[in-house]
Amino acid sequence: MLTNEHLTRLLSRVAMHDRAAFEQVYRATCAHLLGIAFRILNNRERAEEVLQEAFMNVWHGAGGFNASVAGPMTWLINIVRNRAIDALRLAKSGRAATVVLDEEALAVAANEAGQPEALLDQSLARLKIVGCMGELGASQRQALALAYYRGMAHSEIAEALGAPLGTAKAWVRRGLDRLKTCLEAAGVRGNPLA
Amino acid sequence: MNSLLPGRLDRLAREYALGTLGGLSRRRFERQLRESSDAMAAVGTWQERLAALAGSVPPMRPSELVWSALERRLFVASTRSPSAPNRPQQWLRAFLSGRALGGALAGVLLFTVLLRLQPGLVGMAPVTGALPASYVGLLTDDLGRPALLASSRRHGRTLTVKLLQPLVIPPGRVAQLWALPKDDGAAFPVGAVPGAGSATVALADTSEKLFFNVSRIAVSFEAAPAKPGDKPSGAFVLSGHCVKLW
Repeated sequence: MLTNEHLTRLLSRVAMHDRAAFEQVYRATCAHLLGIAFRILNNRERAEEVLQEAFMNVWHGAGGFNASVAGPMTWLINIVRNRAIDALRLAKSGRAATVVLDEEALAVAANEAGQPEALLDQSLARLKIVGCMGELGASQRQALALAYYRGMAHSEIAEALGAPLGTAKAWVRRGLDRLKTCLEAAGVRGNPLA
Repeated sequence: MNSLLPGRLDRLAREYALGTLGGLSRRRFERQLRESSDAMAAVGTWQERLAALAGSVPPMRPSELVWSALERRLFVASTRSPSAPNRPQQWLRAFLSGRALGGALAGVLLFTVLLRLQPGLVGMAPVTGALPASYVGLLTDDLGRPALLASSRRHGRTLTVKLLQPLVIPPGRVAQLWALPKDDGAAFPVGAVPGAGSATVALADTSEKLFFNVSRIAVSFEAAPAKPGDKPSGAFVLSGHCVKLW
């Protein structure tokens, strides 16, 4: 994995339409980014389409990357998550109501480690904030995990957890507040991968 | 714009970064984002916090087809259409007609409106909602269809070019962009442009000095990128008005 500094330099070259730099950014980050899109969409083909569209944005929009606002990996993750969430909402709005799960999606569904809560637990352990986040209730942790890893809207979280909409919103809000407090206490900023 | 109180800004920024801010609230906040560096910084901070959660997601190696599709879409111009006309005289007459002129001006106006509504289309860096002082050109093909957008900040030394439809460049030739002064002075070369996608062309001077007296810009096919003092060797395949916005 590239360092933030290296990735920032490559993105500045992509902004000048340097194809070699673009391919380096793609090769270094595509697997991580596809994983993120796949957790949201649960379908490899659609996740790859999102990855492709996201990198079209990267090529055309690298000039807009501002390292003082967010790190390069964060910027890339944000592009992919936004694209994936948009694709998910579009699919749920009815145009692609029938979603066929592929084999990998079924494997994810059956694999506990692939579940949002397990992913959240692993991240908190890596960030060394398990104890701090332990103040949250199970529902608050679940709500945060579903929103981040599955890209769920408040109404979907409420439905998935069998709670009123207002309660689901409060759970997400509480989860985010606690995450902010714990990350600041631990001195963590940004994605540790890049 | 109405500035947001810090507490409300932080609440909106975290919901936006998480993806749970929807509908009208999201669109309203996106307008704030374009106008407020505070809002952008707040979103960036939350994006950083949330990205820390992505470390546990198992990576998935994409099919090689994703990269090849990207290369094809970004770098390979489509093949030349057999019906593509190559009749410069007829094209020139069409371009000089009032209809084509009106279409070009309408296109520039459309581009201006688009820039105001969606500054991200060009730079994806909506630091401010104000349209920067710029020179803008919309070039059309021989059928009057918008084909190329060119823009440069008034005091910038680069010109951003975006192809709105693929330009089929004959093998061994380059697509050369020219500036045509309003007093029928000699055309001077600006830079080479790609057949598809976008490009940034380095300018010999600031756009204010280069374009203040330019009324049109155009593209011709040349054997090699033109040097200062060169003249177009043939007819223009794309052309349009160059206007200044401020």
